[in-house]
Amino acid sequence: MKILPTLEGGLRIDAEEPGDWMLLQGITHDAVSCDENLAHRLGGLITDEDVAPDWQEYIVPDLDEAFHADLSYIASAIAAARVECGGGPGPLWITTEDAFHWYSSLNQARLALEEIHRFGPSEHLSPSDLPPQNHNAFLRSQFYCAIQSLLLEHVMR
Amino acid sequence: MADSDTDTLTRTDTALDVPWNVIVHDDPVNLMGYVTHVLMKIFAYDEKKAALLMMQVHKLGRSIVWTGQREKAEFYVQQLQTHQLKTSLEKAA
Repeated sequence: MKILPTLEGGLRIDAEEPGDWMLLQGITHDAVSCDENLAHRLGGLITDEDVAPDWQEYIVPDLDEAFHADLSYIASAIAAARVECGGGPGPLWITTEDAFHWYSSLNQARLALEEIHRFGPSEHLSPSDLPPQNHNAFLRSQFYCAIQSLLLEHVMR
Repeated sequence: MADSDTDTLTRTDTALDVPWNVIVHDDPVNLMGYVTHVLMKIFAYDEKKAALLMMQVHKLGRSIVWTGQREKAEFYVQQLQTHQLKTSLEKAA
């Protein structure tokens, strides 16, 4: 897989083999892989008794809906690009308008993987520091992080 | 016939609203550049101030990024959580 900035200020992801599409589809799978969803985990940070009940009732469902909308958006984009090239090599375009949906979805995936596997700060971490069962999850998280960095650097500025 | 009068007494109590702190907590996922970007976007902070607050989050584990009226604080926390930053709300001491 290759990922390049475009002249229009977006990103182009070139899938080079069928497995690349599966890797991209893994973003939305990972994002919902945690038992407690992200909206509830964030809602749990509001503990003041004057605020917490209303937060749980009104804000958490809104957050959940927004997070799911981002995931649906990129799931459709990946599926459409995959169909367009028959599941083989082909491009997927991320425009400036799409960027936040992508960043949000990648972040949801990384937050879920972190919640499950507790990698901690990854600057000095390598897969060999982790138990074998966590290697793939860590590598996926690093891959998602690389796309996020490109989005921040080239698209969301 | 006796006249009947009604007196109305109006009393106004004024109490200062307690200020609320909006707090961003450190986490190992959100990228430093993204936290800075979100603080600039939501609070219209300049890059220098946003980066300073982000570094407080990173080094101290948390930072009070805004203090003020409850309703506005709730709005800001909602915005920050929508951007997936670990954010909480507490009454200022």
